[in-house]
Amino acid sequence: MIFRPCPREAEVNALVERGQWPQACAPDLRNHVNTCRSCSELALVTASFQSARNQAVSAAKLGSPGLLWWRAQLRRRSAAVERISKPILSAQIFALAVNLVVAAAVAVWQARHGVAWLTWLEQLPRNIGSQGFTNLLPPDLFSARSGSMISPLVLISALAAVALVGGVVVYFASEKQ
Amino acid sequence: MPKRRISRMFWESSIPNVLADDAALQASSAAVQPMDDEAFAAFYERSARPLWAYLARTSGDPALAEDIMQESYVRFLCLVNPPSYLADGEVACRRYLFKIASNLLRDHWRRPRATSIEDMAENLFACADEQRSSDSQMILGPALASMRPRDRQLLWLAHAEGYSHREIAEITGLATASIRLLLFRARRKIARLLEASDAGREA
Repeated sequence: MIFRPCPREAEVNALVERGQWPQACAPDLRNHVNTCRSCSELALVTASFQSARNQAVSAAKLGSPGLLWWRAQLRRRSAAVERISKPILSAQIFALAVNLVVAAAVAVWQARHGVAWLTWLEQLPRNIGSQGFTNLLPPDLFSARSGSMISPLVLISALAAVALVGGVVVYFASEKQ
Repeated sequence: MPKRRISRMFWESSIPNVLADDAALQASSAAVQPMDDEAFAAFYERSARPLWAYLARTSGDPALAEDIMQESYVRFLCLVNPPSYLADGEVACRRYLFKIASNLLRDHWRRPRATSIEDMAENLFACADEQRSSDSQMILGPALASMRPRDRQLLWLAHAEGYSHREIAEITGLATASIRLLLFRARRKIARLLEASDAGREA
């Protein structure tokens, strides 16, 4: 196929777009279009498309611009909230990671030094309902024996870490819902 | 209080304003806004019909055209770096809108076709609609349907909207030199189809 545009195409195109083709066209241009394949195709195609456009434009049923504006506002706000939430989410993930590391370190440390303080769990059913809250705690929790002051601190830290992790998990679960 | 401020508050008040106290958010929201609501309503009135016509005729599906048109306007309003209505003018905004719509239409064409009957547009089952009954649509419709989607877009933008090759290149993302050749070939092909259709009708 040879690509050879006619120099009079712009003239023909302008006439068709203004709706002046072929009535208000100069005779020499009309003769040219009759003999020039490129211009005759241009006139035919442009006239067809202009007619189709006019009919389609009049057939269009438009919605409310206010609704689109409202949807755009909502989307912009959602995007802004998402932008703001990203650093918060990163901080939460970081906190979760720190908690997990601490919990793992505690577990490792306890494994190395024995898990004697867990024996109070075995006595828990017997203590419940008999002597009050203080007896629910391990017997050497606040004693001054060597090495025993570390266990309660570790225990409290571990419980706090579990509580924090639990809170984060509940938060993520509620966010997903 | 000026009238413009009142109308802005009207639109804003219809949205759950959960972040009303966040000054940074309000400022960023105002910064990305390409035009105010009144200017948008006027712009919409002038540009929506040609945009719908472009989408409906190139896609052949008025319902899809409606969906894509709405999405195009919403995306236009949500642009991070929108063309300025005051600085660039309405022509630039309209061109950008056509660009968004063209991209959405192309994405739609790239998606796998729906096979479920529930997913198909209702108009596919209609016996006759008012657009098909018009003479120009009866001639141009089948000819356009036999063209490639990209050719339909190029032809419509050039011959219905009157965009230059440079503007079409901007809208479609193709090179200007390619537009010239692609458009020439598409025009030749559809002219043959239109002539054949005319000859068939006369016979």
